[in-house]
Amino acid sequence: MTGDERTGFLYPFIDADERDSTALLADLAASAEAKAAASRALRTATIEREGDALRATAGAMAERFAAGGRLFTFGNGGSATDALAMAALFSRPPEGVALPARCLVEDQAVLTAVANDVGFDVVFSRQLIAHAEPGDIALGISTSGTSRNVLVAFAEARSRGLLTIGLAGYGGGDMTTSDTVDHCLVVHSDSVHRTQESQAVLAFELWRAVQTLVGAPS
Amino acid sequence: MHLTVASSLGLDDVDRRIVAPPDRGGESLELGGLAHDLAAASLVMARRFAAGATMWCVSPAWPAHGRHVAVEFVHPVIVGKRALPSVFVDTDDVVADLRVLVRPGDVVLAVAAAGEPGVAAAMRRGPAWGATTVWVGAGARPDVAAADHVLWVDDGTGLAPWSGRFVLLYHLLWELTHVCFEHPGLLRDGAADACAEEACITCSDEGRLAEVCASPSAGEARVRTATGVETADVSLVEPVSPGDLVLLHAGSAITRVPG
Repeated sequence: MTGDERTGFLYPFIDADERDSTALLADLAASAEAKAAASRALRTATIEREGDALRATAGAMAERFAAGGRLFTFGNGGSATDALAMAALFSRPPEGVALPARCLVEDQAVLTAVANDVGFDVVFSRQLIAHAEPGDIALGISTSGTSRNVLVAFAEARSRGLLTIGLAGYGGGDMTTSDTVDHCLVVHSDSVHRTQESQAVLAFELWRAVQTLVGAPS
Repeated sequence: MHLTVASSLGLDDVDRRIVAPPDRGGESLELGGLAHDLAAASLVMARRFAAGATMWCVSPAWPAHGRHVAVEFVHPVIVGKRALPSVFVDTDDVVADLRVLVRPGDVVLAVAAAGEPGVAAAMRRGPAWGATTVWVGAGARPDVAAADHVLWVDDGTGLAPWSGRFVLLYHLLWELTHVCFEHPGLLRDGAADACAEEACITCSDEGRLAEVCASPSAGEARVRTATGVETADVSLVEPVSPGDLVLLHAGSAITRVPG
């Protein structure tokens, strides 16, 4: 008998002979509830802490939209998909007024062309150079707050007169200290998953607030 | 388009239903029965991945969600977690694309409303393709048998696809799937399964779903089932066309199944 076998009873969950999934399924369900409760606590705290900033951001966005401005969103990985979702929320809303919004991760040809020819740091800023006008809005999402191409895009956007908005996690990272970000909404968590869940709620509440401020087309 | 801006925001205006939904029955259960559905789905998904599955994600109306699921599994945000083969399928014909991509043992995951026609048709073909089907959505529910696992958000807002609720749901699915990998004994085929996902021999003998590939001559067709392509007698259900679904029993198609 080996030492492993004698102490195996101490580690039931790494037992390769485990056969009954009942206990695991109960643990999984309890774990899902606990994580969902943590997610809820974080988004409640986030909305409370960022409430004033959210109002100010929505007000500035509504003014830009009213003056004909457009929204450009961007981010990497899961934040890229959240940027896609946010652009879709503004441009094809479930209710209310459709507002011009587009996500800069959508075009693979442009992304790969810029990344291949120049570098990944400029995949978003290069598109802003081509498309952005002074009245537009640049909104970048980064759970770390440090994504280089997002920060580079903010600098480019600022130099062109765009309103710049950041959604950041991990306490904000470089985004909160960057002098090229007009409004930064921060989630204070070191979990990427919980951060993205709160960022999704921030994005949704931002959209709702903008909808409240922007009247129907006349 | 000309828009006007309201002078102020009456904002105590945050949507409380979304930020902090009311407790259910005095308990602060965020998920209710969905927690158990997530647990069952994640164990089956872990088993499929352990056996070599690829997960194909579709989300015709909300592609951002399908993409998020795929990137979550293939490039985990937590260092050290294994990359699992997961692909977002960007398509205007869900059935046609999945039909050629899916191999027996794979997983098809949809993020879609119950009324999404291409998704419903693909989910229905899961048993013929040998695929495990997972359907994430909100609002009016599809039929309980519409997929192997129906993970439905019922938060009463009608806004789950936009409010972040889906993001929480598929994050949990990823997290729970990886917990299952810590239980290798439960990942093997034939491991005791409280959620009764594995097909029993008696049931599979009663009828197997098949999708018609071609019908080269009268009374006969090449059909696809969970175990591969075979020739079946279709004289009872003729005429059949490629893509039709039939129920096979002992080598014969005994009835048509709405596709």
